[in-house]
Amino acid sequence: MSFKRKQAYLKMVQKGIIDMMPLNLAVLPWGILCGSLAIQRGLSELEAILMPALVFAGSVQLVVIELMNNNAPLATILFTAFIISSRHFLYGLALRDKIKNLPMQWRGSLGFLLTDELFALSGDTKALKGKLRLIYAVAAGGSFYLCWLLWNIIGIVAGNYLPDLTSIGLDFAIAVTFIALVVPSITNLAMLITVVVAGVLSVIFKLMAWELGLVLASLIAMYCGYLTVNQQAKLNTVKRSVS
Amino acid sequence: MILLTILLLACITFTSRYLFLAPKLPLRIGAKITHFLSFSAPAVLTAIWVPIIFVKDNSFNGSLSNPYLLAATVAIITAYKSQSVYLTLSLSITVFALLHFIN
Repeated sequence: MSFKRKQAYLKMVQKGIIDMMPLNLAVLPWGILCGSLAIQRGLSELEAILMPALVFAGSVQLVVIELMNNNAPLATILFTAFIISSRHFLYGLALRDKIKNLPMQWRGSLGFLLTDELFALSGDTKALKGKLRLIYAVAAGGSFYLCWLLWNIIGIVAGNYLPDLTSIGLDFAIAVTFIALVVPSITNLAMLITVVVAGVLSVIFKLMAWELGLVLASLIAMYCGYLTVNQQAKLNTVKRSVS
Repeated sequence: MILLTILLLACITFTSRYLFLAPKLPLRIGAKITHFLSFSAPAVLTAIWVPIIFVKDNSFNGSLSNPYLLAATVAIITAYKSQSVYLTLSLSITVFALLHFIN
């Protein structure tokens, strides 16, 4: 490998880590909460570490730990995890054409690392195209994995001595990071309608304490955005045929 | 038993992420579906962040004294004007911390 190419790769690793850093830090309170809750609810240290290391999904970890503690049947635990994870199917679908023909090592690692956060960084049409952008994505996703693991371990080790960071409002960090990523992507009416519908419906479904609400709110919002573009196209053809 | 549960959970989360990336899956995504899916990132991310702002302990909090709401408003304006993740984060978290400190 030439020196120049190696430097370009290193640069992409660096850029991936830097771009993911706000998200890495934003999930610190959640990671600590997941780790400490696991210990408080009676999981061993090993089990508590395997949760972020293998399951690697904050909302699933939190909900499942509570279910296990309530002695819920295995089928209930797995079904709940499936419902909460179902939004990832959307991410896989959205990125399918870019990833499906890549060699196994890229597909596997991107598939494993495909969190809300990595998906948020992969929205650009050019994302994941070419080796440099793949290195960027794996570096970003990999840094998120390591940080998530580290925050969980801090929770496992020090959870009993730390206050619940989400109860003092640190869950605001993840909200504001997503705001910072979503707002600049609202460049037209269709995106605006998508975001408004998703926001309103997600709150309504959340108040109904409905685990499937997140996915349903997203799907309806996406359909509204899709319809908006179609209606605009129709209006334009009508205008053109009139004039 | 807990270990087995964790392994099964890992299978579920990995499958949910990997399934549609698998080339062997006989599925072709047409232009319409691709267009529909182009709205997925803003839709899902918004459906995650808006409830954090408005829902606390299973009830709606839309009052102007809600520090989440005020700081989120600052974040939206900053993100719209500056398009910078870091500026948006630092400004709105500062506002949020100040509001928390005052309360």
